[in-house]
Amino acid sequence: MLTFLIRSLEAAMIFTFAGLGELVDQRAGILNVGLEGIMLFGATLGFIAAKTTGNYLLGFLVGIGIGALLGLLHGFFSITLGVDQVVSGMGIWIFGFGMTTYIGNPYTGPLGLDQIPAIFGVSPFVYLAVIMVVLVWFVLSKTGLGLKIRSVGERPGVAAVSGVSVTRIRYMSVIFGGMMSGFAGAVYALYYNPVWNYNFLMGWGFISLALVFFSMWNSYLLFGGAVLFGLLWQLALNPQMFFPGLASRYIWRMVPFMMTILVLTLISSKWFRSRWGATKPEALGLPYHKE
Amino acid sequence: MTNAKTRGETIELHGDIWKHIQPGEVVLDAQGITKRYPGGVLANDHIDFKVKAGEIHAILGENGAGKTTLMSILFGLLQPDEGEIYIRGLKVRFRSPEDAIKMGIGMVHQHRKLIPAHSVLENILLGHPRSKGVMKLKEAEEEVAALAKRYGFEIDIRAKVWQLTEGEKQVVEIVKALYRGAKILILDEPTSALTPLETDRLLESIESMTQDALGVVPFITHKLPVVLAISDEVTILRRGRVVDRLKTAEATEQILAQKMVGRPVIFDLQKQPVEPGEPVIQVENLSARNNKGVMALNQVSFTVREGEILGIAGVAGNGQHELAEALFGLRPIEGGRILFLRRDITRASVQERWKLGMGYTPSERTEVGSIPDFSLIENVAMNYYFDARFNHRGLLDYGGLRRLTEQIIDEFDVATPGPDVNIRTLSGGNLQKVILGRVLSRHPKLVIANLPAQGLDVGATEFVQRQLLAAREQKAAVILISEDLDEILSLSDWIAPMYEGEMVDIIPAAEAKKEVIGAMIAGVHQQERES
Amino acid sequence: MTLGGYQVRLQRRVALPGWKAALFSILAVIFGLVLFSIIFLQAGQDPLEIYKQIFSYAFFNSYGLHLTINRFIFLALASFAFIIPAQAGLWNIGMPGQLYLGALAAFGVVYFAGGKSGDLALSAPIIILLMLAASMLAGGAYGAIAGFLKGKWGVNEIVVTMMLNFIAFYLVAFMIKDGGPFMNLGGRGESFELPEAARAPMTGGFPITLWIVFILTILLQVLFSRMSLGYQIRAFGKSPLAARYAGIKPFVIAVLVFTLGGAIAGLAGYHYFAAVPGVYKIARTYGYFGDLSFYGIICGLISLGNPIAALFIALLFGGLSIGGRYAQGKLHLGFGVDYALMGMLMISLVAFQFFYNYQILITKKERALDVDVSD
Repeated sequence: MLTFLIRSLEAAMIFTFAGLGELVDQRAGILNVGLEGIMLFGATLGFIAAKTTGNYLLGFLVGIGIGALLGLLHGFFSITLGVDQVVSGMGIWIFGFGMTTYIGNPYTGPLGLDQIPAIFGVSPFVYLAVIMVVLVWFVLSKTGLGLKIRSVGERPGVAAVSGVSVTRIRYMSVIFGGMMSGFAGAVYALYYNPVWNYNFLMGWGFISLALVFFSMWNSYLLFGGAVLFGLLWQLALNPQMFFPGLASRYIWRMVPFMMTILVLTLISSKWFRSRWGATKPEALGLPYHKE
Repeated sequence: MTNAKTRGETIELHGDIWKHIQPGEVVLDAQGITKRYPGGVLANDHIDFKVKAGEIHAILGENGAGKTTLMSILFGLLQPDEGEIYIRGLKVRFRSPEDAIKMGIGMVHQHRKLIPAHSVLENILLGHPRSKGVMKLKEAEEEVAALAKRYGFEIDIRAKVWQLTEGEKQVVEIVKALYRGAKILILDEPTSALTPLETDRLLESIESMTQDALGVVPFITHKLPVVLAISDEVTILRRGRVVDRLKTAEATEQILAQKMVGRPVIFDLQKQPVEPGEPVIQVENLSARNNKGVMALNQVSFTVREGEILGIAGVAGNGQHELAEALFGLRPIEGGRILFLRRDITRASVQERWKLGMGYTPSERTEVGSIPDFSLIENVAMNYYFDARFNHRGLLDYGGLRRLTEQIIDEFDVATPGPDVNIRTLSGGNLQKVILGRVLSRHPKLVIANLPAQGLDVGATEFVQRQLLAAREQKAAVILISEDLDEILSLSDWIAPMYEGEMVDIIPAAEAKKEVIGAMIAGVHQQERES
Repeated sequence: MTLGGYQVRLQRRVALPGWKAALFSILAVIFGLVLFSIIFLQAGQDPLEIYKQIFSYAFFNSYGLHLTINRFIFLALASFAFIIPAQAGLWNIGMPGQLYLGALAAFGVVYFAGGKSGDLALSAPIIILLMLAASMLAGGAYGAIAGFLKGKWGVNEIVVTMMLNFIAFYLVAFMIKDGGPFMNLGGRGESFELPEAARAPMTGGFPITLWIVFILTILLQVLFSRMSLGYQIRAFGKSPLAARYAGIKPFVIAVLVFTLGGAIAGLAGYHYFAAVPGVYKIARTYGYFGDLSFYGIICGLISLGNPIAALFIALLFGGLSIGGRYAQGKLHLGFGVDYALMGMLMISLVAFQFFYNYQILITKKERALDVDVSD
């Protein structure tokens, strides 16, 4: 049972890392639906780096680095080139999906390194995730940088005439988002599920994206949602713990995906929508053209 | 900036440059400002003007005269192709608003440049040095409160901006500019969204500000009384050039108008008498919510008959927009009933309303009224894809639509290379002509025109207004929503002022006085005025 | 930006003529292929030589050509499944899920007709027609879920269709593995094989699905260029607000496009598992086939929603991915060359989106003469 809870938290931390990056991104008005692609890249290249050198740190750094690069690429497409953000995000997802399938294939199999030790029975990344949740909340709501990020996501034109460089803030946010997603992918591949396999991320990037919508752009709610989905994912993997013999294991594996749809539908309810609509960054997904 | 290489120096410079100002001294001197847009349009053609300390220098011009361009250049949003700007004799070059703000230029925008979801304080702090690192909210709050008090502004610093009225938002913008140390204040059409009362109050505050040796530059379209009331000097722009510069004391409304437009202006539209006929639309106790879920339209009832124009007057955000959308089925209603030609259409779909003979020209012409990436023909099809004349068993008659489009281009005098170009390429006036032409070509029994002339130049405005009068002569009922009281007064048969979602009254136009309507849309009831 | 005596500026386009858009699409594909040649360079091969081999295998080798055509049919159907919602401004990335459902429904018909182990209870033409109808119905119904949620409550269709993919993925696993009803009695985690009579008829060496593709192309072309319904879909795609104002019903459009798209994706499932010679079963590796349908996204985007253009691009991509597999074997490259190609093409396409929105103006310093270099 304890293992079950710990594994749930560990799944939650990955949703949290990826979700926090996307949350900051979206607060600055940039929608990145290519989260899954960045996570796949972070996971695959981080995995390869760690496996070939035996160095965990290098693996994480590679994950963060490739995340930053892909974030930059999304920024370049959507901010500088003015490409539709959804098109660019979809592009990054398919790019990540296609390339990592090819690049990672020769490394199929387990990582073969000692597991990163736990602190008080829990992965160190869980603590890091909690710290990041608080940090992101603090920066967004209490600092001038946070005010700039939020302003750029609400009304970029207003931020610009107030002397804020919209482009710079958006690039910063989108690179931060990429780094967090790449890191989340690396944590997945180096800690949570250290066995490379074809498309082994199983849509976690898309689930993280859904969690950001669910969070109403609040990092604490995001963490809550992440824990919920961590529990759900573990339940789907180990249904026999609670419901022995009930339904096939394949049916249970569908549950988290069904729940994602359910949660997304729920936040479209009238009650949720009136609150959701008020917190949604107004310029989310819209390009900014200097007049 | 040429004289300052680093940010640190700029701030020092700012401190120095504004010391020891003498009243009457030239503080801002723009020389030969020229800006050319791609395609060769000269938006500004060697514009010169000077602002003296303590004076209010109005810049007057029609839409498209180059005011916005000039203003953007002064505020660093655009860079001029030629020309120089001097501040107290020091040559400056602004690459961004940040540079301009540091040199003491403040700007108050016509379309409020505030973030509705943020608090007043957050809006004022955005981009301010006080917001570096962890924001010092307490100190900032005290400073802002003190500043507001000095000029007699009342603002709730912790309120969210979306909760404020237009007048309050304007105040927030001014305080924001002053808090950032603005010495020269540029006001873009400062009174366009204000009620007459709010306008008076604002003008007083602006005058009190000049006592601190500030230069104030309001940019104004056609609000001639405002120019005459507050400015010391006025520069008139036409087609990117300065056509005249004169002391306000020597000017009259007629002179200013003539110079601005370039020909004598006739302020009256000929309105033929039309005998009203049967009721076309009867509205009973209609209520609806706005996008934030707040009741924005409260128990509104009225009737419009054939050959009548009902003018709905009011300041933006008092329920007129919700009324138009609710009438046309674009907004769910909370209660009430709508009868169209004595038939209950409360639950009818938008398409049914088109088919029954209702027509609507929305105020959001590019977002709602047209599809920018579609050709003119495809835009005309918006009102005909369901029409048996052009829809033969599911197939659209594009040839017929082309002929219809060409007819509209012809009759409505639309300037376009042809019916196949994307409607995005059309100017605002021509776009509105297509939208209006498309709706009127259906010969609707009812036309709901939401801000039909807003933002159009004088020629297009006149054209649009004449078309509405022509529809009235053909026995259509017209509901005209406008924020321009003069437009309402000159076109309507009945006038319904709206305030906070309610119709204050419905007055025959012949008996309406501008001051009375102005008070009604500002929430001042006649009884209160009399007592 | 200034270069020498010239000033280089970017300017937003107000309009883009059709031929130019097509040119950019072709350039995007070429650029993608250039990017892709990195993989061959890395393997120490001359990319031009390899491309020659890829094309000659895919289009001029009779064995390769059959593979190409079968994949072309699949990709064309996947593209149509993407294009119809895309014309309404909606993203269908649920082709894998919809095609799994289509395949399951087709096999379900055979299963209930007793074709899993014994003789069929119905005659061959009826079985085949029922299989086609069932695959379209199932795919359409599955797609309609996303359309319904989008139309009714505005639920993000990208996430929903992706989640539906995973759900359908496990549904297939449930049906064909661990003693599921469709499991092959031989028990290698795949479905039973279709009996002879339930296999798609062949005409001229190709399955009838090829003709279905051609008919669909014409129907879609008519839908979008001539029909009122197609106009409504396009209007909604360009501006949902304006469409609503014009009386177009958003809910109807959302459900309709996803149902149509899903139905066509269902046919793609039918094609790959019930019509391709040598397969006729839901293979253990069905996941790869499902993911291959993401090519449909690229195809749909590059063809700018034009069904006829999509047809040619699907043929090109079909050949490239088959030829890529061939080169993979010949050069001993890793698995997934066709997926890498997909990634490269996609990223190139996104980069080229820029040219749809902007033009580069080069002005000589002295004269105000604008030259559009993107011509």
